[in-house]
Amino acid sequence: SFYYMKGSCSPLNITPLYALSGLLLTDSVVFSVTSCVTVVLLQCSEQYFFLILDSFNDLYTSYVIFCILLMSVVILVISIFNVEFYAVVPSIPCSRLALIGKIIHPQQVIHSVAHAVMGMLVAWCAAVMTKGKFQFLAVPCTPSESLDDAVPQMCLNEHHLFFLLSGAFMGYSYSLLYLINNMNYLPFPVIQQYKYLRFRRSLPLLVKHTCVESLYFVRNFCVTYYFFGYIPKVWISTTMDLHIDSKLHPLDTLTGLLDLSLFYHAWLCGVFLLITWYIVFLCFALYNTTSDPTFAEETDQCLPKILNSNPPLIIKFLALQDLMLLSQYSPVRRQEVFSLSQPGGHPHNWTAISRECLSLLSDLTQRLIAQQEAAAANGRAKQPAGELKVTPQTPGMSNIAPRASMSSLVKSSLMPLKTSPGSDVGSPFSSPALSCKMGILDVNSPWHGSVQSSQVTRRGPKLWTSGSGRDSSTALEAVQPRVIYTWLQNKQQQNALISSQHPEASIQAVFSDAQMHIWALEGLSHLVAASFTEDQFGVVQTTLPAILNTLLTLQEVVDRHFKLPHVSSKPPRISGSLVDTSYKTLRFALRASLKTALYRITTVFGEHLNAVQVSTEHKKRLQQFLEYKE
Amino acid sequence: LIVNSSPPKLTSEDMIAAFSQAVDWAGCTIRAFAWHPHTSKFAVALLDDSIRVYNSNSATIPSLKHRLQRNVAAMAWKPLCASILAVACQSCVLVWHLDPTSLSTRPSSGCAQVLSYPGHSPVTSLAWAPSGEVLLSASPVNTAMLVWDVSTENCVQLQWFGGGGVTYLAWSPDGSKVLAAAPSAVFRVWEAQMWTCERWPTIKGRCQTGCWSPDGSRLLFTVLGASVIYSLSFSEYRGEMQGQVGGSKTASIVADLSETTFETLYGEERIGGEIHSMVWDPTGERLAVIIRGKKEVLQTVIAVFRTRNSPVFELLPCGFLRGECGAQPQLIAFHPCFKKGALLTVCWSTGKISHIPFFFMSAHVPCTSSSPSPVIASTSVCE
Repeated sequence: SFYYMKGSCSPLNITPLYALSGLLLTDSVVFSVTSCVTVVLLQCSEQYFFLILDSFNDLYTSYVIFCILLMSVVILVISIFNVEFYAVVPSIPCSRLALIGKIIHPQQVIHSVAHAVMGMLVAWCAAVMTKGKFQFLAVPCTPSESLDDAVPQMCLNEHHLFFLLSGAFMGYSYSLLYLINNMNYLPFPVIQQYKYLRFRRSLPLLVKHTCVESLYFVRNFCVTYYFFGYIPKVWISTTMDLHIDSKLHPLDTLTGLLDLSLFYHAWLCGVFLLITWYIVFLCFALYNTTSDPTFAEETDQCLPKILNSNPPLIIKFLALQDLMLLSQYSPVRRQEVFSLSQPGGHPHNWTAISRECLSLLSDLTQRLIAQQEAAAANGRAKQPAGELKVTPQTPGMSNIAPRASMSSLVKSSLMPLKTSPGSDVGSPFSSPALSCKMGILDVNSPWHGSVQSSQVTRRGPKLWTSGSGRDSSTALEAVQPRVIYTWLQNKQQQNALISSQHPEASIQAVFSDAQMHIWALEGLSHLVAASFTEDQFGVVQTTLPAILNTLLTLQEVVDRHFKLPHVSSKPPRISGSLVDTSYKTLRFALRASLKTALYRITTVFGEHLNAVQVSTEHKKRLQQFLEYKE
Repeated sequence: LIVNSSPPKLTSEDMIAAFSQAVDWAGCTIRAFAWHPHTSKFAVALLDDSIRVYNSNSATIPSLKHRLQRNVAAMAWKPLCASILAVACQSCVLVWHLDPTSLSTRPSSGCAQVLSYPGHSPVTSLAWAPSGEVLLSASPVNTAMLVWDVSTENCVQLQWFGGGGVTYLAWSPDGSKVLAAAPSAVFRVWEAQMWTCERWPTIKGRCQTGCWSPDGSRLLFTVLGASVIYSLSFSEYRGEMQGQVGGSKTASIVADLSETTFETLYGEERIGGEIHSMVWDPTGERLAVIIRGKKEVLQTVIAVFRTRNSPVFELLPCGFLRGECGAQPQLIAFHPCFKKGALLTVCWSTGKISHIPFFFMSAHVPCTSSSPSPVIASTSVCE
């Protein structure tokens, strides 16, 4: 159905979406390139200070210009990799096997190789600009005492080689850390700030982090070089026909590696490399997750359209973030949401927005119910023995009130779900005794071989968003890893350690895109609360029953989900780290914002909510909210 | 002769006592007080580092204790929530998740979430966003103000240079601005959308206390050592001014509370002095101020003013409140949703808490609440 708003956004005009995403990405690339060139120039200016003291060397200046150009190329390549690999939903490997599969994935191999090559180029630039003993790969050998050798031979400068290899190693380590820490995941910030302020406020932490990380990388590289340094040495000297200088100490010995100046230069090179790459990453992350006020004006009229179509995931995220902001801060835009179309008088904007938000939330409800049923079925397949081990992590856990009729209500309000044959879904949730039994699932035991485990682990590959973030349907890419996955699993059926599911990771995987739902909840509840005073045509009132129904159902399902093992325990928090791990605790944020959304609606409407048509069960729960007893 | 003297270091207790809104934080039984924003429930922090929660609908009085809960400086209930209480402690911020229907008198320590950040201690002030999403915490020794997302335990540090830490926080009821007072002669007003700030240097001393009008357009504040109330107005928040606080150029003096002699039925009375703390009721019609008289010469009294914010700002004296013989007012707070006017709660140095009603018809209804108003107890009121 076509609908037009003020300042029309015709449904056939799809270019704004891609132009917008392109604009965001080019913006960030340009910004990061210019900032890194500035950093590089500052580095060079330090070199220039010493150059003034030396004699002016034409060759050296051309070297410097070439290095700057090379650095820009490196930064451009890194930016392109950031663009290709980013995701707004983290891909969480649910078992060690999945993690290994992720590492040997071809895309990751390309990423690592490219970064290693880039690292080598950066190290070469640094070596060239440092001058001294690092500058050239081939140097004349130290002349021998005997007068037999009249022709000076060229020897391999091991220091230069060490530098290049350390650069390659650091590039590879950066790529590995990028994968393990889910750095391709762009977290959205807790509070809105201007991009420049966010950048400035992150700089001190960034500098401290890179200094420490560079230290670890150099240490690891020294160990690697000690054991394997002879391989590249021999290979280079044979291919380039260079001799190994026997007069100098070889570097792959303890005495060779204990050279402080070498360590210092390698560390400095590492700091330079990591700072430039992290600044590029930071600029990219900041640009793509901060909503610009000007962005809001451009997409103002297209917001419902974006939500209803199927855009790239980041556009959908930004649209929902925009919805959240407009619902809180923009009375003018809220009026537009509550407006009626001309001449028909239909509330198209509100219908589109509320329908999309409610479908998002219902989808999450279904997903959670499916996982709970899988866990329940698996729990009954095993023979639980021993004493009950229920650890109340959250307050109120001791008040497990038997809600026998709740499960039937949940089922009736959603589409009928497929259940495995022979399992009776209603029973685990009707008696407290059985729900406590679920708490003693032995999660360390192997899950391989049983029907239930493959049902659960099969969900794993679907969540892999590795690859271009533009493609929201990863079905095609998921097939290949799944084949490898099942093959490996069949091969190693006895090895329980590798194939066992990591419980915390699988819990995080279910809630990996919860940020969308959190914004949908906030946006929807703020709009409903504002409609109490601002809605002139009563467009919101008619949808109130559906909204309350969805929210209350979701809240019930989430509360029940938190009674499953491990869900309510918080992963340890590492403060002061550059890497954002907020995806690990998204489920807590979802639960809190769901409750706040419900309270927001009940606080504003108060006793008027008693006139809204909802089921008796939901009426009772609404009364609890009105009395602040939830 | 060289005398080596270093300035005496302030201990945490001294700092909290100096910056607390309580008149005698170190010696009095009651250290902090907080009304729940929607129901008739309040929390009281006591000298023995425990917190008691009183509810007009329930006879149970839960007592909250935790090994990290020491030297409580401030408390704040989370808005749009049944019972989550944030407590500013010596070394961290504790967030208690209480069960609103529980009859337990000793909730376990497991109900408390610990939010700590290196270098952020003691915590002297807390403020929840009125929409309930983030919690601000402030410490006088840390130049960063922390913005906590409590459920994920993530925090963003808002840092600046110069001026020391933050001693007092006040969030405007409409959610648009935050007052952050520093130990030096400067305070900042932040706008809560894009988190930019305006810097306001004061002439005489640090900002002692401040309160906002209900629509966030006016800030009343006092300066340490002075007896005047200043007013600062802000352009009305329309949502389209991103990144601008919108404060006017200068603050104006609206009241002078220096020593004056009053003729009363009981004879001459000298009242006046420094202002210690100030609260404005949610309808914007009554302002209560604790005036700290000089010790042994003048008593500490509470002055109440009738106020109006629109169309023009008006501040008229209403009367004074004095307690029983020997009782000094310690803390004051207005009930967040008293439907019949305004309800002022006073915590006295004797350990008594009294609620004084002001009945009037107001154009503004503070909030809708289904719980009935509490039974009122009052002490002597002189008009």
